[in-house]
Amino acid sequence: MNAPDLTEHARKNREFWDGQSAEYDERNARFIERGLAWGLWQVPEAELQVLGDVAGKDVLELGCGAAEWSRSLAGAGARPVGLDNSQARLERARAANEAAGVEFPLLHASAEAIPLEDDSFDIVMADWGAPTFADPYLFVPEVARVLRRGGLFAFSGATPLDWLCFDDEADAFSDRLQREYFGMHRWDTPEGSVEFMLPMGEWIRLFRRSGFLVEDLIEVQPPEGAESTYRTPEETAWARRWPMEQIWKVRRA
Amino acid sequence: MTLSEHAERNREAWTEQAPEYAANADRAWSQQEVSWGVWQIPEADVHALPDVVGKDVVELGCGTAYISAWLARMGARVTGVDITPAQLETARAMQVKHDLEFPLVEASAEDVPLPDASFDLAVSEYGASIWADPYLWIPEASRLLRPGGELVFLVNGTILVLCFQEQEIPPDEQLRRPYFGMHRFEWPDDPGVDFHLGYGDWIRLLRANGFEVEDLIELQAPEGAPPHRYEAIAGPEWARKWPSEEIWRARKTG
Repeated sequence: MNAPDLTEHARKNREFWDGQSAEYDERNARFIERGLAWGLWQVPEAELQVLGDVAGKDVLELGCGAAEWSRSLAGAGARPVGLDNSQARLERARAANEAAGVEFPLLHASAEAIPLEDDSFDIVMADWGAPTFADPYLFVPEVARVLRRGGLFAFSGATPLDWLCFDDEADAFSDRLQREYFGMHRWDTPEGSVEFMLPMGEWIRLFRRSGFLVEDLIEVQPPEGAESTYRTPEETAWARRWPMEQIWKVRRA
Repeated sequence: MTLSEHAERNREAWTEQAPEYAANADRAWSQQEVSWGVWQIPEADVHALPDVVGKDVVELGCGTAYISAWLARMGARVTGVDITPAQLETARAMQVKHDLEFPLVEASAEDVPLPDASFDLAVSEYGASIWADPYLWIPEASRLLRPGGELVFLVNGTILVLCFQEQEIPPDEQLRRPYFGMHRFEWPDDPGVDFHLGYGDWIRLLRANGFEVEDLIELQAPEGAPPHRYEAIAGPEWARKWPSEEIWRARKTG
C-alpha cells in the first residue's frame, strides 16, 4: 500500500512512529520481551485468558511493533502475521525475528486498510498498537472482513475514563472529569500523533453493526505496586481505583 | 416469599416515598408516548424498545406502573411486578382512573412468582435495575424470558455513580469513589440500598445468564433541558457532558 492511500491521521502516526521507534524500544523493549502478557503492566495471558488456545490458528497482530506478541504466539504454535504502519518498527521486528530464528510475514500497512484476503484469520489481536492510533470506524469493519466466521478479535487500549480524567495542563491523571464524554473520538496529541477512543455504547454499536458479538470487556486493575515502563507509580496508583486499560473481546458471528 | 435484607430495606424506603410518587403518577399515566428517564427523552429518539404489539411484557420494579401503562397502550400484554404494596396501590388507582387494567404482582424482582419462559420482553427503568441485586435479578429476568426475548433496562450512568455526592446535592466533576468493586451502595441519611456495576461486570453477568449484549444507549440531556426534581441526580449542565443515564439492551439466546 502506498502512502497516498493512508488517511491523514495514519500518515501522521506513521511519521510519529518512524521517529520514535528507537526511543520506544530503549524505554520498553526489555519490559515487554517476555511476550504473552498484556499491556501497561504486562499481565500474563495465562491469568487473563483472553485468546485461549492459539495452536494451529492463523493470527493477525495489528500494530505489532517489534512483534514481541507475534513471536510468542509463534512459539505457542500459532501462525502469526504482524502488521504495522511504521517501517522503522518493522525493521525492529525483522531484526528480532532473525535473532530469535523465527519467521513469519510482516506487513507494512495501516489497520484501516488491511492488504489481506477476506476470511483469512481465526484471531485478530492487538496489545495497544493499531487500535489506539487507527480510527475505530475504519479498523473494526476491516477486522470483521479478514476474520473467519466465529473468529475472535481481542484488543487492549485506553479507557474512556482515562481519557476523561487526563489533565493536559498538569500532564497527569486527575480524579476530576477534565473533558466531555459525548462526542469522544479523536485526540491530536501534543507529540504529533493522533489517538482514538469511543464512548462505551459507541464501541458496542460499532461491534454489532460490523457483525461482532460482544463477549467480554476486561478492565485491567494492576496489582498493587505493579511495575511498568509506560506509567509512573502515581499513574499506576490511579489505575488501581479507576480503569486505565481495557481489553475488548468480540467474536465474528 | 423470603426477601433479601436489602429488599426489606428498600420496601420500607419505598413505602415512605410512595405518597410523593403517587402525587406524580397521574401526570406520567396521562402521557401518551413512551419517554425515558429524568430527561423524558422520547422513545422515537432513543430506540430502546422492540416492537411490542402483541408481546408479553414484564416490568420489573414497576412502581406506579406508568411504563407498563404506556406499553399496554402500544398493544403489549403487560404485567407489572413491584415489591412495595403502597406503590402498587397507586398503580391500581391509576388503572381505575385511566381505565387500563393489567396484572400487578407484589414481589421482588430477585424472586418472581411467575413461570419460566413466559415473556418476550422484560423492562426496568429505575426499578429492579438499580434497587435489586443484579446477580439475583438478571438470572430471574433470563428465566422469565422466552428464547429470543429482550431485556431493556435503564440505570444511573456509571460515571455519575462515581461522582454522586454523599448528600442530596447534585454531583460535580469530582470522582468520589473507585470504579473497581462497584456493586452495592449505601448512603448516609438514606435507608435504601442500591446497586451499580461497571461496564465489564454488566457484560459478563448478562453473558453468563444467556444474553447477547445488543446495545448500551448513553442518554445525553437534550439541549435546553429543564431541571428535574431529583436532587442527587445530575443537573442538565452535567448531563450534557457526561451520561447521567444508560440503557442496556440484551437478547436471550437459545
